[in-house]
Amino acid sequence: MKVKNIGLIMKKDLKGLGHERTILLAILLQLFIALFSSFLMVGLTSMYDPSALSKYSTVHYHIAYNGTDSDLRDLLASDASLRVYDMELAPALQSLKERKLAAVVYVPETKPDAVDPVKITLYTIKNDLQAAVVDVKLKEQFVKYEGDLREIRAERIREKPVPLDIPKSTGGSDFYEFVYGLLIPLLVIMPAIISSALVIDLITEEYQNNTLETLLSAPISANEIFWGKVAAALVLVPLQAGIWLFLLMLNGITIVNAPQILVYATIVAMVLILVASVTALYYRERTAAQFVYSTAIVVLMLFSLALPENPMNIIAKLATGSAGTEQWLVLGLIIAVVMVLSVLTNRYAVKSMRGNQAPR
Amino acid sequence: MGYSRDILTIAKWEVKRSVGTMGKNVLPVALILIFLLVAVTGFTAKSGLHLQDGIYKIGTDDPELASLFSGDARFSVKLADMWTIQRNQDYYDLMVFNRVVYVHDTDRGKAAAKTMDRDYAKYRSHVYNQQSDLFAAYPLWIDVQFIKSELDFTATQSGQQVSVRPRSNQPPTPTGPVEPVAIPDASIGISSDELRSSLQQSTSQNSQISRYTDMFSGSGNPIGTYKTPDQLSPPLPFDSIILVFLFIFPLYFMSQFYMMSIMNERVGRRGELLLSTPARPSAIILGKALPYFVGMVGISALLTLWIKASPFIVLPLIPVILFFLAVALLIGMISRSFKELSFISIFFSTIATSYLFFPSIFANIHVVSLISPLTLIVLTLQGTAITATDYLYSTSLFWLSAVVLFYVGVVNFREERLFSQSDLFVKTSDFIASTLSFKRPYLSLFLFNAFLIPFVFMVQLMLLVLFFNLPMPLSLILLLIGAAFVEEIAKSMGIYSMIKKAPSFFTWPVIVGASFVTALGFLFGEKLLLFVTLSQITESVFGSILFTSIGVLWMPFLLHFSCVLIIAASIKKGGEIGYGIGLLAAVAVHCLYNMYLILGWFT
Repeated sequence: MKVKNIGLIMKKDLKGLGHERTILLAILLQLFIALFSSFLMVGLTSMYDPSALSKYSTVHYHIAYNGTDSDLRDLLASDASLRVYDMELAPALQSLKERKLAAVVYVPETKPDAVDPVKITLYTIKNDLQAAVVDVKLKEQFVKYEGDLREIRAERIREKPVPLDIPKSTGGSDFYEFVYGLLIPLLVIMPAIISSALVIDLITEEYQNNTLETLLSAPISANEIFWGKVAAALVLVPLQAGIWLFLLMLNGITIVNAPQILVYATIVAMVLILVASVTALYYRERTAAQFVYSTAIVVLMLFSLALPENPMNIIAKLATGSAGTEQWLVLGLIIAVVMVLSVLTNRYAVKSMRGNQAPR
Repeated sequence: MGYSRDILTIAKWEVKRSVGTMGKNVLPVALILIFLLVAVTGFTAKSGLHLQDGIYKIGTDDPELASLFSGDARFSVKLADMWTIQRNQDYYDLMVFNRVVYVHDTDRGKAAAKTMDRDYAKYRSHVYNQQSDLFAAYPLWIDVQFIKSELDFTATQSGQQVSVRPRSNQPPTPTGPVEPVAIPDASIGISSDELRSSLQQSTSQNSQISRYTDMFSGSGNPIGTYKTPDQLSPPLPFDSIILVFLFIFPLYFMSQFYMMSIMNERVGRRGELLLSTPARPSAIILGKALPYFVGMVGISALLTLWIKASPFIVLPLIPVILFFLAVALLIGMISRSFKELSFISIFFSTIATSYLFFPSIFANIHVVSLISPLTLIVLTLQGTAITATDYLYSTSLFWLSAVVLFYVGVVNFREERLFSQSDLFVKTSDFIASTLSFKRPYLSLFLFNAFLIPFVFMVQLMLLVLFFNLPMPLSLILLLIGAAFVEEIAKSMGIYSMIKKAPSFFTWPVIVGASFVTALGFLFGEKLLLFVTLSQITESVFGSILFTSIGVLWMPFLLHFSCVLIIAASIKKGGEIGYGIGLLAAVAVHCLYNMYLILGWFT
């Protein structure tokens, strides 16, 4: 097996990719996903957290209060963003329908220390963005009132939770866990999945276009062809994953252990590419190979995610900077798997490519 | 008669061929894999997803709290005496001594504090809902009643606030007739055991999704309209969305098979045989698609039966299935190689997924979510009734564009297109050009642009979903520029591919004429579709930017006409580079028009 020949095959396949300019699509796709996920996050936050939308934060919401006077009324009135009116229920509801009010609250006569719960009725507008915002405002006050009522009824509560003082409003964002614990691992693994799908195409194409015979008649051996294709798919992985990390860093997201993350992405990609190439060598036909492989990959990914210290978890920990020595252990383990797989696939590739070349 | 027989014959061939190739080798493996998938899903459900394990570190000297937080795999908890922990305090995100939490001042530390806060709230409600006196622990229940506003959602979108009454201490007076309302009952009318079980359910659910955000309360609301204050946020239809995924996943696979079947006809010119039969191209295409269509509908129906859902959820899926098949056809016809096929189809499925999925997340919050047919499924699964208008509104674009794409496929299903190996852009341009006739250039440009409208709307609605979450001025500006780009590119496509094909045909008078009919066709399609379906969105500020629906007809027409003319003239003058410059100029004109006329800027 000569490295030069492997390089030749690799270059040929990469040139083919470059010629078609399809790799551009892959990069475009990455950008699109990055855009969309950040938009989604912004969207979710602003939909539920009114203070995130500056436009809504200066607005006063008019609400009507009806029924028995209670501490809740004072709480609502103390909220600077709410303006409370005492109104009869019927005109209040009609005003709500006409959007002159944002919500209507009805409070019954139930005493704070009664046996029964205080059941208040909240009327809001269905399927409305601002109604959702108002709900969040009201929720704050309702939660406070619930706490007060709990205090009043405290004697009746037998087992109290262990008290714990967590400093409020430290400004930690929901964004953190989403970015480091989901986005980064997924984005880094995606190139591995794309590349393993690619290696199926590279191999089945030679069979289905009957070009494998021509290649084999050149002074290049079967395993050189095979490893050339694997190499072509593999080099794209750190490249793509690197672009990802770079884009994220441009967005101001600090990623602590970028080199290790790239190593992980590449070595995981190697496992996937080897599995994919065996599937391709077996079926010699794209439809079947891609179908079987993509089902297999779902099984594989789900399984690995169910294991503790799986590669995606390690990537998340590397990105947050909380990975310990276990990262090297897991890396060593995957490398061992790659070695064993390499030997086996190499044997299989030579046998399969030299044999009958019709698609199965 | 002959035509439908042709379709059936080809469908039979297709089934025979795919069963022949797939049956022996793939089926056993597929069965094993599906078995494994079920097993692994069970395993994963049991052990949980270990994606974020150990990303935060806690140090504490309190064994009770240590065991409490080690229940959350995201924390790695170190139990030691205070001195040992404080010695390397930079290592820990959170330190807990004497029931007080100290937060390390980093992003990770703050995020850890937030996570701990949520965990603690969960633990507290767990303790509370074990209480024998439930109404001491949960003394406040809120009965949420939704009122349907007489003004629809467009009111808020167009910048109208709920109650725009500044600085008045007088309560508002309704203008409409006041109907008498029953005073709500003070008792809750549900036993505390039932309430307890609903509470326990809602705290145990959703642990995976509520990791990212505490905005969502438990999915669904098992006990009527009653909620505790904590449950007041709108529910995320998480379970339904997972179910929807179950429906869409097989559709992707099946459309991949169709895509490959088309591609395989092109490999080694195998399809020549099929083309030489007396069957018409449309019969070949439909015949090949038929088994997959039947298969997809069949799988959807089976899934519906399996989850015992209303059979109506198959209805919104049908246009989606047709759309997928139509796109699969074109991708199969355009790609030059398997690699290209993979990339294009991955690209397409990501975009289609986002278009279909993300709006449906907002199913309970906002009408915009209805642009995705999947929202209909989510709503049906939740038991919300959908109307015929809803159906028309969210599926019409899919129906229309599927038909148009199939038409493009049929027109191009010829030897010189199928077996050519030209570049993606050239090929797309060729494909468009063959839908246009040089015998009746004006008529075909008119129709082409009218039929382009569903796609323009789809892209623009996507932009709307993307942008409308951003703060107000930014979202408008981005939408303005994005929409102008999409429209100008769309309008120029027909004329561009025609000029590319026959530059000499386009003399200056012809260019003016062609621009005229292009603008006319575009405007006609726009108005027609708006009239039929999209009136819900179009009345808002966002809508008026997207669809220029304001004012009299001649103004938008003039805009379309001049923009097309700018582009066409620059193509004639400057070729490829001219096209780029012309496009930018047209977008600028378009934006200025919108800013001036619709938003009323510069005045």
